[in-house]
Amino acid sequence: MGGRRPGGPERASKGAVRGDVHLWELLAAGACGYLRCVAMFRLQGSKVLAVDMTGDAVKAKNGSMVAYDGQMAFKKMSGGGEGLRGMVTRRLTGEQMTVMEVKGHGTCWFADRAAEINLVNLQGDKLYVESSNLLATDAGLRTGTSFTGLRGASQGNGLFTTTVEGHGQAAIVSDGPAVVLRVSPQYPLTVDPGAYVAHQGNLRQSFQSGVTFRTLMGEGGGEAFQIRFEGDGLVYVQPSERNTIAGEV
Amino acid sequence: MAFREINPKMVEATVMPGQKLFSQRGAMLAYKGEVSFTPNMAGGQGGLLSMIGRRVADEDTPLMTVEGSGTVLFGHGGHHVHVINLAGDTLCVEADRLLAFEGTLQQGTMFLGSQGGVMGMVRGQISGQGLFTTTLKGHGAVAVMAHGGVFEIPITPQRPVHVDPQAYVAHHGDVRNKLSTALGWRDMVGRGSGEAFQLELSGSGAVYVQASEEKL
Repeated sequence: MGGRRPGGPERASKGAVRGDVHLWELLAAGACGYLRCVAMFRLQGSKVLAVDMTGDAVKAKNGSMVAYDGQMAFKKMSGGGEGLRGMVTRRLTGEQMTVMEVKGHGTCWFADRAAEINLVNLQGDKLYVESSNLLATDAGLRTGTSFTGLRGASQGNGLFTTTVEGHGQAAIVSDGPAVVLRVSPQYPLTVDPGAYVAHQGNLRQSFQSGVTFRTLMGEGGGEAFQIRFEGDGLVYVQPSERNTIAGEV
Repeated sequence: MAFREINPKMVEATVMPGQKLFSQRGAMLAYKGEVSFTPNMAGGQGGLLSMIGRRVADEDTPLMTVEGSGTVLFGHGGHHVHVINLAGDTLCVEADRLLAFEGTLQQGTMFLGSQGGVMGMVRGQISGQGLFTTTLKGHGAVAVMAHGGVFEIPITPQRPVHVDPQAYVAHHGDVRNKLSTALGWRDMVGRGSGEAFQLELSGSGAVYVQASEEKL
């Protein structure tokens, strides 16, 4: 997994160990002493994201909070970048994610329709993710919109995608546990557009079509389109396929 | 220990002579041994009066009595199942979330208006609980269903917990709940964060929350 997971392996979803929470609070408080306050992301089971906050903020998908303790304030924001430029891009691209800013002291738990959650650690690099697959990000990360072209259309979710950039953690959701595949210059990777979730790093993507005479005759194998990644980076793939045009021919 | 989780979506119950189990009707998947299933017209324990009470309260999920000796597998609708052990305290849960529970537990219905009057009733409507909720009291185990995994958050007097009403599953212990609203002018102009209503649980006990905001 690309995400840093404090506390080693995933904790069992049942019977949260309260002692650990205090430990993390202590660590978070300690970190605040000499660094800026950073929200701690950790997984509780595989479907719940717990974020320990000490006065700092995170951005999360609207309505994804399931529980919290302590003091929290929720405020709606809009995705797709800040300011007037962001507003215009949102209008034009339709890639509008309704985001809320959660700020406060305590622990906040997020979940989204029982989808599996993956933690991604960003160190200055860029994460490309579909806005519907983005659950939460550190408030310090910048979000924006980028054009995907034909590839986006083949994934069945539009021509634009969300980018997350900066230093910090982000949580993405996938239908079923996602696998992280490494792409290196010697080993390019080809994925099904319906199973693609996100990618990060220095990757070039190209659109591949396997449409032949047979496909046109209705005898296709159901894998008419693929996305090919070349370069150096990570690709997140889910064990489930969205409904795409490619899957039907 | 009557229930054993064999995978996240199935529980195995051991039935022994003289020990009754109640389960949601149709939730049996398989059984071993001599086990009989009888539909329970009364929808649970108690006499005619409690039956009428449940009918009126719309908390009368069709139940069946499981008796005999053997093991029974329960599961329903592919929902996640979570086993909660009660040691003398009271569990509040929606009747349709109950998969199975031991006969040693005392079943009852609670009027939400009794906790906080009109606000309690409003709370029930918003969280989808209705006006009544089922209570189970005593010593024994309960298997409850949820969409997605269930996790437990302890509640201590110093740390009240706020829960999204749609993700709330059940709670036990000496817990008072009230509906807290974070309605601001933003919600009025349609720019709300989607978290306008929250259940605030305070006291001592635990609340069970599901990893999803979908109802069963």
